[in-house]
Amino acid sequence: MIGNDLLDIQRTLRNHGLLISFSGRLTQAIIEELGAAVKKYLELEESPKSDIFNIFSIFIEQTQNVKNYCASKEGTDAYDLVSNSCIITIGKTEGGGNYICSGNLVENKEIQSLITKIDSIIPLDKTALKKLYKETLKKEITEQTNGAGLGLIDMARKANEPLAYSVAKVDEHYSFFTLKTIV
Amino acid sequence: METIYIEGTKSTPEVHLDPEKNLIQLKGQSYPENAFKFYEPIFDWLEQYLDELKEEATVVVDFILPYINTSSSKCIMMFLEKCDEAFLAGKQVKLNWYYHPDNESELECAEEFVEDISLPFQIIPREEE
Repeated sequence: MIGNDLLDIQRTLRNHGLLISFSGRLTQAIIEELGAAVKKYLELEESPKSDIFNIFSIFIEQTQNVKNYCASKEGTDAYDLVSNSCIITIGKTEGGGNYICSGNLVENKEIQSLITKIDSIIPLDKTALKKLYKETLKKEITEQTNGAGLGLIDMARKANEPLAYSVAKVDEHYSFFTLKTIV
Repeated sequence: METIYIEGTKSTPEVHLDPEKNLIQLKGQSYPENAFKFYEPIFDWLEQYLDELKEEATVVVDFILPYINTSSSKCIMMFLEKCDEAFLAGKQVKLNWYYHPDNESELECAEEFVEDISLPFQIIPREEE
């Protein structure tokens, strides 16, 4: 990949205001490194501490959500395909805010429950989100799941705009799911 | 009971559990791959410690948690609930939560945690690191 190919990629990245992007299999170590890089970058820009905190925490929640979904496929045929399909990006919006956008393949049979969950969060205002967050925080953990079911609620609380998502059907088994948070 | 010391990493806090000094300290960011797995031995220690804690002793819990992800938050809530139960059972437990004075979100996070607990707490701005 030389010459115009790379230039095209760069142009595309610029058009989307992209600062950092990772595509491929996520690991905890990669999440930590990217998280640290994001933080450093925002500190150099002298962004307010609260903004850095919110962007960093949304980034961590979003990537760990994606990674946990991949991990839930371990031992199945879907694992390799799903875990190699991850992409996470952080960039600037035209309005001067920041966006954190993640994408990954999701099995079609699971899309509906995911959408239902996000759709139930989107219309909530900050007060309702706080209430839901606290209720979920105090719920007894009934089974050994890797996650507390709090991630999406927390992202919505820290975001300046409602969560946005899209689903693009890839084939009869998978869809590409994208989640966008603006802060 | 044994003293437990766990060194901090990028995604896990430094943990210091000292039954001699009645001191419990968690210091650092918390967003491990599996929060429940990380906090489980800490819970085990805490349960036994609070159980054996004499009523005349005062335990001080120090939290310096610049960032905690949601599954760690769940664990911190469970941790505080255990402390609160002990307090309501007549034991002396105090919480000091240190936050960065420039970070409103960190302060809000601390405030939310203590909203529903009965044990005495202080939320204290910490010195710049």
